[in-house]
Amino acid sequence: MPEMMPTALLFFLAAAILPVLPQYLRALLLLAVPVLAGIILWNIPEGMLAQVGFMGLELEFMRIDSLSRIFALIFCLAAFLGNLYAWHVRDRVQQVAGLIYSGSAIGAVLAGDLITLFLFWEGTAIASVFLIWARRTEGAYHTGLRYLIIQIGSGVILLAGAVLYHAETGNFVFERMQLGSPATWLIFLSFGIKCAFPLLHNWLQDAYPAATVTGTVILSAFTTKLAVYALARGFAGTEILIYIGAAMTLFPIFYAVIENDLRRVLAYSLNNQLGFMVVGVGIGTELALNGTAAHAFAHILYKALLFMSVGAVLFRTGTAKGSELGGLYKTMPLTMVFCVVGAASISAFPLFSGFISKSLILSASVKEHYYIVWAVLLFASAGVFHHSGIKIPYFAFFAHDSGKRPKEAPPHMLLAMAITAFFCVYIGVNPEPLYALLPYEVKYEPYTTTHVVTQLQLLFFSALAFTVLMRTGIYPPELKSVNLDFDWTYRKAGPAILRYLRAVAGASGAYLGSVLSGWAIGIFHRFQHSTGPEGRLAQSWPTGAMVLWIAILLGVTLVVSFLS
Amino acid sequence: MSQDKHEDTDAFPWLGRRLLWLDNRRNVNRIVYALYGLCAALFLADFFYHKHVYLGVEELPGFYAVYGFVMCAMLVICAKAMRVILMRREDYYAPRDVEAEEYPEDQLDRAEHDA
Repeated sequence: MPEMMPTALLFFLAAAILPVLPQYLRALLLLAVPVLAGIILWNIPEGMLAQVGFMGLELEFMRIDSLSRIFALIFCLAAFLGNLYAWHVRDRVQQVAGLIYSGSAIGAVLAGDLITLFLFWEGTAIASVFLIWARRTEGAYHTGLRYLIIQIGSGVILLAGAVLYHAETGNFVFERMQLGSPATWLIFLSFGIKCAFPLLHNWLQDAYPAATVTGTVILSAFTTKLAVYALARGFAGTEILIYIGAAMTLFPIFYAVIENDLRRVLAYSLNNQLGFMVVGVGIGTELALNGTAAHAFAHILYKALLFMSVGAVLFRTGTAKGSELGGLYKTMPLTMVFCVVGAASISAFPLFSGFISKSLILSASVKEHYYIVWAVLLFASAGVFHHSGIKIPYFAFFAHDSGKRPKEAPPHMLLAMAITAFFCVYIGVNPEPLYALLPYEVKYEPYTTTHVVTQLQLLFFSALAFTVLMRTGIYPPELKSVNLDFDWTYRKAGPAILRYLRAVAGASGAYLGSVLSGWAIGIFHRFQHSTGPEGRLAQSWPTGAMVLWIAILLGVTLVVSFLS
Repeated sequence: MSQDKHEDTDAFPWLGRRLLWLDNRRNVNRIVYALYGLCAALFLADFFYHKHVYLGVEELPGFYAVYGFVMCAMLVICAKAMRVILMRREDYYAPRDVEAEEYPEDQLDRAEHDA
């Protein structure tokens, strides 16, 4: 009865036996598990299939419906492709972390209640940080810590929201909610952190370029799309999401233009693509939610492909920075071709996957009369072509010749890229199989003359702008640099303010201390006299009294938190 | 290096050798002129079919073309201006950041194409 077993358990069992296997079996297991999980998920019927009683709670581990199934399936495919790309990795930490991470993400998508969701939500956080720490440098250690604090924080907020939600409704069922109460706002905030809403987004651009070559490919697929799924499940039709999403599509593209680290450029464009999905969730019509699901599916593939191609460059040259690269098409032509396929897909060129998924969301925004949002999305579409479609392949493989002549990517990486590229093109040419997987029936024809011509106009004139700016020397050159983003507030400003306060408090404390210490010592002696071990009051206190008082304190805390 | 006229290009992969014409400045110019021509053709295409659109603004001939060009140019110019305020040295956050670090060599497989 495979449907009785939570799919995540399959991944966890594999992660448990993986460390004792020899390398070739480990690599095979890493490929077999997602395939097996995918076959099971493809075939099982819809419904609530695995209820488990746990401490008086009814937990639902296998909610299969059209929305959860498409996300679970693409997660299986992404795990397979990522593990194929990582065939050469012998580091057990990364292999186990990758399995638990992808398993947790699938588990979270199939969770039918908020407690199960919380368990897997934290599972993705804890497992994924090892893909960053696996780089084993001081910078990666600190970046991983920042990432972990934010991800765990998201989970803790989710749990707090779930508990309040239970107090409100009497159950933990994870269904569509209305924003309004503290409970739903907390849950919304928790999803928003993982979805990289504006000002909550920096963990993404901070952490993904710090992970290992293969770790970034795996990271790119799960966490944020899990959050998109959670929003689609819980907050479809919530209008504020439309504006949050529109802002998300907009500001990252400015950063992407001036960012030097190409993997961070991709992280910014990932953030921008999430914005499209969030707008789709916010609009909440059948067309829009179909668009979100389709775009998440297509996006996971082309984003993985882009991270794979830039990762292959990093693997062969030791850098992914635009200022250090260029001219690699001569000796890494296949990687270049796959990168261009990914670039064309994210840019939504006709015949590539982005074209048939993003247009569902744009079309929904017009149909529901969000014209400004539509204009923003159109700008963001042109912008994403600019920085992901042109900048990434151009500065890595063309531009000025860096003199680097690296060997072509290893065969397993080429194979992973080839399969991913195949899917990108296949979905673009033949969207019906993807459309059939979507949560609602699709009544949309992407290949109309108007759509093809207008999209080509948008893209080619964006390319024209790039060319003109490049040839006139206006285009900003790639420079070794970092750009300040909102994370500056907690990486520089916050610590600086704390240091200042500590210095002030230290100086004034030293003065106050000299004045007060005379009193304090006097007071302490008096207390010691009466309540100290030898004191009169202590004579009648059993040690158990302390335990009792602690118990009473905890009890009061519990009652207060329960009532509030 | 591309400046090195004596570089042995025969050792490049087949597809890489096929694409070497991109190294020639004149060929790059040809591509750019082709892009100009393509853009002109796409702009004119608007006059030769019936657009099925929802918004009045979409009916303007070449709306998508002008919008794409203007917005992208604006994007780049704004982003360039942002650099004045936001750009810092690569080691600004070091050592708590990977940006100024070398990628650990033992996790790479550096190889020259003719190795």
